[in-house]
Amino acid sequence: MDKTSIRMGARSVVAAFVLALAFALACALPSGAFALTTGSATAKPNEDGGSSVIGGLPTRLTWEATADKGDSVESVELVLPEGGSFDSSTTKITTLKGLERSKVEGEATPQGNKLTVKFSEPLVDGYLIRLEITDMHFPSEGGSVVVGGTYVSNGETKQLQDSAPIETIPNTLVQGIVNWLDHQPWVQAWNSNQFLGMFFKPQLIVTSLFSLLPGWFVCLGIVIASYPFAVVLGLVFALMKVSRFKLLRAIAIVYINVLRGTPLFLQIYIVFFGLPMMNINIDNVILGIIVMAVNSSAYLAEIFRAGIESIPAGQYEAASSLGMGHLQTMVNIILPQTVRRVIPTVTSDFITAFKDTSLLSSVGVMELMMFSKNLTSITGNMTPYVTAGIFYLIVTLPLIKVVTVIEKRIARSERGSGPRPKAKTAVAKEEVADAV
Amino acid sequence: MLSKKRMHLPNNTHDVPPALDAEEAARAAHERDKSLTKHHFEPHEHPCVRIEHLVKTFDGETQVLTDVNLTVWPGEVVCVLGPSGSGKSTMLRCINLLETPTAGHILIEDKEITGHLLQAEVNKLRQNLGMVFQSFNLFPHLTAKGNVMIGQTKVLKKSKEEAEAEALKQLEAVGLLDRADYKPAQLSGGQQQRVAIARAVAMHPDIILFDEPTSALDPELVRGVLDVMRRLAEHGGMTMIVVTHEMGFAREVADRVVFMEGGVVVEQGTPEQVFDNPQHKRTAEFLGSID
Repeated sequence: MDKTSIRMGARSVVAAFVLALAFALACALPSGAFALTTGSATAKPNEDGGSSVIGGLPTRLTWEATADKGDSVESVELVLPEGGSFDSSTTKITTLKGLERSKVEGEATPQGNKLTVKFSEPLVDGYLIRLEITDMHFPSEGGSVVVGGTYVSNGETKQLQDSAPIETIPNTLVQGIVNWLDHQPWVQAWNSNQFLGMFFKPQLIVTSLFSLLPGWFVCLGIVIASYPFAVVLGLVFALMKVSRFKLLRAIAIVYINVLRGTPLFLQIYIVFFGLPMMNINIDNVILGIIVMAVNSSAYLAEIFRAGIESIPAGQYEAASSLGMGHLQTMVNIILPQTVRRVIPTVTSDFITAFKDTSLLSSVGVMELMMFSKNLTSITGNMTPYVTAGIFYLIVTLPLIKVVTVIEKRIARSERGSGPRPKAKTAVAKEEVADAV
Repeated sequence: MLSKKRMHLPNNTHDVPPALDAEEAARAAHERDKSLTKHHFEPHEHPCVRIEHLVKTFDGETQVLTDVNLTVWPGEVVCVLGPSGSGKSTMLRCINLLETPTAGHILIEDKEITGHLLQAEVNKLRQNLGMVFQSFNLFPHLTAKGNVMIGQTKVLKKSKEEAEAEALKQLEAVGLLDRADYKPAQLSGGQQQRVAIARAVAMHPDIILFDEPTSALDPELVRGVLDVMRRLAEHGGMTMIVVTHEMGFAREVADRVVFMEGGVVVEQGTPEQVFDNPQHKRTAEFLGSID
């Protein structure tokens, strides 16, 4: 039989083990024999760990078992998760007979990862044993752990049923920081201020920075995946809108006006609730990408159209006088200039699109907004929202700066001074010199 | 974009077919022009541009060209003078179809261009007609060299190396070899216009149209551009139609000076004839007001 009572990792392994153990016990024990039944093994969440148990940090492990008919339990040896640690001196042993606390006492002796409890008299049917290890440290790497072991009843050593698995999360740098913060007087003082503690709780800023990260990546992923499509679609509709063909113009105008004239929120609802009703089921994130791409394309089409129309007629004439056709002129002369001109506006639109991914939380896309909403409802603290704001700003602030810089550069180059190395008079003199 | 719509005035009396026999027309034009130009006629030479009864009306009411008749010979330098609003630029823009003539006929190398042409035919025609604009119209996203190259690579389908060699040659000819990698915004107006000339010449057109090439320039920059144009006229053997206000240039360089006013050619002749002995009162008044 397995010696190891600790199983970490996949639940299925644990389940298989439990089954195997049950089978083994059923075979080993004579029929009609009874066993000490493991009631539960639970771990209390760590302080500031939210609802989770974090490895490597002190927590309280409570293990309970009840004695059955025929049992006469003299001692229990618990096998605790390997790699963890505990302090036996703080172990609290309680025995209950029915609902009353019994006089039976226990003495705990640690040995490695095992804890042996000897009882002052054997525990028979109806006794409940509760062991509380108040200074339990689960393994730092986290994972799913079980508590097992053996017990001695009527002089026989028997295998204990494994407890239901306890999920623990790895103790990371973040937990270290949070732990450290917990004990800082200034943090305690800071949090005692109602406003600061509610919106800017340092521990939560640290933890949410990490737990919101996946949501932030989803936001970035959606906008980065959707934007190239939006640009291509936008360009197509912009060219349609400046086309000489009335039908193409009409299609483009309807497309652009409908999409710009209705809220993105409404468009999201129509697509996310409408498609499933037509039995079209597409992954939420993909659908989000599609909606964002289509919505942005309408705005981009208008930006591109304005850009194309801002190119002076002289550029078309110069291209024509070289013998370029319409398409050649567009591709070689007009669009390259349009691209330069629209970069600031397109960047602004990108910023808007990035922020607007938050609307997808309303239909259950697991993005930044959704993550922070969940975290806030768990912790009852507004800090995760503030952290989400920080995440949005990480992207938007540099882009806002980029827009400003490019706008300044364009303004300078359109004034015509550009990075001209010489003063105007010097050029003029040189010009005259050239001429002579 | 350019409208392809064609308008016909109901009471346009000039809308008659052009003389169809090219040989006959050439002889008649030769007869008419031989005393008016310093151009040396070759035997049996055909004019490269024939403008007959050209009419241009904007918005159906503003008649800019009422009846323009002009013949330009291969290698001839024609300077078109006249007060603003006289239709000089419009006539020039009609020649490469940047404006669509309302009525009348334009023939380039005996081929009528004032019918219904396909866009491809128009593009082909324009390859042969370089144009230099008052406002330069360089492509701001390209370097000086890039501006000169793009027509060669995209229209003439030359290789990049060939186009680059030609571009550098033409930039050298206008004295801007050291500015080849500058963007238009980094160049002075005069330098930009010289790049624009290089851009037109690099296409090796038969005819170059100059639309007031020095009017947008500071006075001190005019001379460099005119020198380039003078060299082009004297050594290039290029047919040039120059709309200009530069009297000195016209007198010195032109084979023929054309004075336009009110949408018609009022007077034409050699520079000496027009400047020293104008036949028309309006010509004299105009030249007097300029000097």
